[in-house]
Amino acid sequence: MFRTEEMEINMGPQHPSTHGVLRLVLQLDGEEIRAMRPVIGYLHRGVEKLCEHRTFPMIEPLTDRLDYVAAISENLGYCGAVERLMGVQVPPRAQYIRVVLAELQRLASHLLWLGTHALDLGAMTVFFYTFREREIILDLFESFCGARLTYNSMRIGGLYEDVPRGWFDRVRHFLKIFPGRMQEYEDLLTVNRIFVGRTKGVGLLSAADAVAWGVSGPPLRASGVNYDVRKAIPYSSYEEFEFDVPLGANGDTYDRYLVRMEEMRQSCRILRQALDRMPDGEVRAKVPKYIKPPAGEVYHVVESPRGEQGFYIVATGGEMPYRMRFRAPSFVNTQALPLMCRGRLMADVVAIIGSIDIVLGDCDR
Amino acid sequence: MVDDKEPKAPSPGPPARAAGDGATAPPAAAAPPAPPAPAAPKADPLREPVPSRAVDLLKQTLPDALLEVAYHAGQALVRVPPARLVEVLRFLRDHADLHFDYLSNLTGMHWPKNDRPMQVVYHLFSIARRHRLTVKIDLAEGEEAPSVTGLWPTADWHEREAFDLFGIRFAGHPDLRRILMPDDWSGHPLRKEYPLEGNPGDHVQYRDVGTAEHVYRYDKAAIRGFGWRKEVEKTGLGKG
Repeated sequence: MFRTEEMEINMGPQHPSTHGVLRLVLQLDGEEIRAMRPVIGYLHRGVEKLCEHRTFPMIEPLTDRLDYVAAISENLGYCGAVERLMGVQVPPRAQYIRVVLAELQRLASHLLWLGTHALDLGAMTVFFYTFREREIILDLFESFCGARLTYNSMRIGGLYEDVPRGWFDRVRHFLKIFPGRMQEYEDLLTVNRIFVGRTKGVGLLSAADAVAWGVSGPPLRASGVNYDVRKAIPYSSYEEFEFDVPLGANGDTYDRYLVRMEEMRQSCRILRQALDRMPDGEVRAKVPKYIKPPAGEVYHVVESPRGEQGFYIVATGGEMPYRMRFRAPSFVNTQALPLMCRGRLMADVVAIIGSIDIVLGDCDR
Repeated sequence: MVDDKEPKAPSPGPPARAAGDGATAPPAAAAPPAPPAPAAPKADPLREPVPSRAVDLLKQTLPDALLEVAYHAGQALVRVPPARLVEVLRFLRDHADLHFDYLSNLTGMHWPKNDRPMQVVYHLFSIARRHRLTVKIDLAEGEEAPSVTGLWPTADWHEREAFDLFGIRFAGHPDLRRILMPDDWSGHPLRKEYPLEGNPGDHVQYRDVGTAEHVYRYDKAAIRGFGWRKEVEKTGLGKG
């Protein structure tokens, strides 16, 4: 009389919980996920092709548009790659200011993640709280470079100019109030029965799987693999700062939440050290007016809030790169999504997508 | 259009780049003074450890598979023949001293003036040993590269992307489809002869799915109010 059959349904690309234009084709047995096929490319803008027709300084604004939630990490990685290709030594003050910017960006990105992740799981208050603090960081960025989203904040060889007067005091003020605010988020979520029930044991990813599938960033560390680019291959004088790399034990959605929360605390630690030890001096190295790196190639990697962000530049001595490739952490992390979702319920997909924190602009490039 | 000063790739033979080549030399003279701060100017903060161990071991155990060894900005690069690729990568992954367990990046490249114009680049990283190695293969036009999805499943999407944007086919890939471009796209955008801009009809033939004509007719009909306006004029409705 009754019969059951597997159902194939589409989630996205216009779904509010897919955080952009991600499309998931789900094969369902009742509510249980049998298989999943992510479909990407809806936001592909051909940035790598564009880069082959732009001079090196003209590429930096394009990198803003890749991972638009953490544009400063992209700027930092791109400028670092070109500097390395040219053998340019960035002045210490510029390196420190870059670290301050990058860590503030990590906080802003994690705050956006936390707000939307909680919102996906039905906790609306957290969203308002995190955006309150993110606003302070965006105001800081705005007074530094005039933009709130696509910053174009750095230049090859350093920064465009020094920070405005009183800027570091404003950062210090933010660092003073932020730990209390973090306690507010923790009070709302960490022991919240609904939140824990929706996240604990959901979206398991073993350490071996995570490494084999190239997962990076907080999802990798939540599985217990100690790989943070800032520690493993330090860049922009990260080796001078003391901070810990938080690791998870189970590799579930709840661990990814805990890892990111701890990362925010560690970012504050780095920020305090950077402000206390801020060197004086120039913020820009002497670079030629027309930037022509010598023929060669470089693969430079930075730790963006989403994971290992790679920049592969092949130069042939001209003023434009011959080939530019962005190793996008969102692209690689999305690939592991079916692995985490298999056997779970439909509602868990939303929690798992939130926990790997993808940005589709980064994924599709 | 295609860059007119399109250069040749450093060919596998003689013009092997010397180690360092200026890019790695720490420019000590350029370091600015930083009087009060404890952070003294360092030699090269962006330097990564050059995995000489990997190159040494490859030279010892698989010398016939090495076409070229080069260093760029402190990074080692080896070029291997496509037929030996899987063997070399498996050695690099499984050797206890090297342990390249993480395929960080895989991408293609196009050098139209070379005899073997297509290139595939593998960026390996070892999480335990914290070193890097770049491996390259050169392919003739239309030649298939061996898929490395059996070694690292993460290569799946990377290889699909290289196929999508360069037209490089990977033998043994489980599901070689386009990934970033639409399924009915023709042409591979990152190839050098593919133009940067232009009208879709100039260089891309969409598979005829019949939408454009429909939409056009729909728009025309909508302007005419789907016959409603004609009806009004005929009957004098709405004239007051």
